[in-house]
Amino acid sequence: MTLAPPESPVLTLRERLFGAPRVRVAAERAVLILHDVTKTYPNGKEALRDVDLVIPEGDFVFLVGPSGAGKSTLLKLLIRDELATRGDVILDGQDLARLSRRQVPKVRRKIGIVFQDFKLLPTKSVWENVAFALEVTGTPRRRIRPAVDRVLALVGLTAQAPQFPAQLSGGEQQRTAIARALVHDPRLIIADEPTGNLDPLISWEILQLLLRINELGVTVLMATHNADVVTALRKRVVALEEGRIIRDEVGGTYHRMD
Amino acid sequence: MISFVAFSLKRAWQGFWRNALMSLAATATMVLMLLLLSGFWIIHTGLLAALNFTESKVNIEAKLFDNAADFQVQDLTVRVAAMPEVAGVEYISRDEALKRFRANRAAQHQDDLTQFLDSNPFHASIEISLRDPAQYGVVQQRLTQEPIVSGVENIQSLVTRVLTVTNFLRTAGAVILFVIGIIVLFIIVNTIRLAVVARAEEIEIMRLVGASDAFIRWPFVFEGALVGLLGALIALGVLGAASDALSRFMFDFFRVLPLTFGSLARDLAVIVFGAGVGLGILGSWVSVRTYLIR
Repeated sequence: MTLAPPESPVLTLRERLFGAPRVRVAAERAVLILHDVTKTYPNGKEALRDVDLVIPEGDFVFLVGPSGAGKSTLLKLLIRDELATRGDVILDGQDLARLSRRQVPKVRRKIGIVFQDFKLLPTKSVWENVAFALEVTGTPRRRIRPAVDRVLALVGLTAQAPQFPAQLSGGEQQRTAIARALVHDPRLIIADEPTGNLDPLISWEILQLLLRINELGVTVLMATHNADVVTALRKRVVALEEGRIIRDEVGGTYHRMD
Repeated sequence: MISFVAFSLKRAWQGFWRNALMSLAATATMVLMLLLLSGFWIIHTGLLAALNFTESKVNIEAKLFDNAADFQVQDLTVRVAAMPEVAGVEYISRDEALKRFRANRAAQHQDDLTQFLDSNPFHASIEISLRDPAQYGVVQQRLTQEPIVSGVENIQSLVTRVLTVTNFLRTAGAVILFVIGIIVLFIIVNTIRLAVVARAEEIEIMRLVGASDAFIRWPFVFEGALVGLLGALIALGVLGAASDALSRFMFDFFRVLPLTFGSLARDLAVIVFGAGVGLGILGSWVSVRTYLIR
């Protein structure tokens, strides 16, 4: 997960024209690299400061911290809704700052995003909500059906496929959203407070599902306030406070141990 | 590419019907705005025709001496007709002038007093119609210098005043039509923007799952075109239903003016369809744009 050694003499044409990237990445080993990332908003607020973070393939990472610590900003940088003011954000070997506008959608397909408020379309059924992610990215029809059926089976919603979001429980809605996030076969799942709207039992159900997806080889980054879950699972915990990473430990708890 | 267009059209169709209330509100606004535009366009066309008709009445009559020889008249006619400001020249002989006078009196059911005279009291003249009434002075001046012309009535100040009025009306008409056009543009674009904003979350989801800009934009553009097309069809239907009454009402108007209902209807159809579909597309395009550029 370290940066590649500086001796990389062969430059591509693009690198010769625009300068070599400041960070050369062993792309096959890290899904996500943030190097000295600072984000300052136009109003002068510094949301992130000198953030270094490397997430290897297959990792399961909790991102914790109080509201306003910079979690949302960090997630926005990953989906390139915002650009870092300084530093590099490298997703699956691609420097997000160097993407053209046309490339942005393609990179976003490597990420599946799950939100606290599910963000399902109320006029579409479960099946259509999941298929929507493939339709709007131009996937051929014949490949949509098996892919959607597969992820719905994975999250256990095959029976609910024809139902509409309003007919589902909160947990089922979130599982639909997870299915939609998975349907592109992403390298990284970003879950932003996925259990924030759910009661504890259902929250555990969602956690179990995310863990199972992680076991299948998908990297998971989950921002959460749910201390019980974080402490119980003893996964890697990255804690943000006032825009800085104040703690990054494997097998960590929600609060500092000492 | 074909599948992309098919996808966009299908999504546009779905989008229209799944948000029926918003779509129908947009269509209704579209219909009203197109009718407003049509109404003002009809009035403007009528106004222009009336102004042109008025201006075409400005012509110059040059009285000729009775002793002018035929070849002199011939020569004058040819030379005047060759002037760039002149649209047409007509020679009116003394007999012709008398005949016209008598016909005129008869039409007004008045006695023909000329029958009591022993000779024709009228002079021969040439009547000149102008390409542009603003050139009245130039032509009038030239004619007074001709040796066989006995006199040219000078109505320059009247012509100037008429032109002042017609030019003012023409400008005012164009300005009003332009302002109406701008109002229609803004109201339609804003209505469509409302329909797009109502679906901001759908656009947001598309962005997040990695839809390219084209996949987000074109369904909305087609949907805007659909609203425009439907609005134009309904507006033209309303105009068609009203056209019978309208044409009867305006029959005299059209008979006097050099204006035919057929060409008016054709122009109107082009304008209504063009404005409807064009503004529908424009509205969607600019509305979706705000969600794409980050």
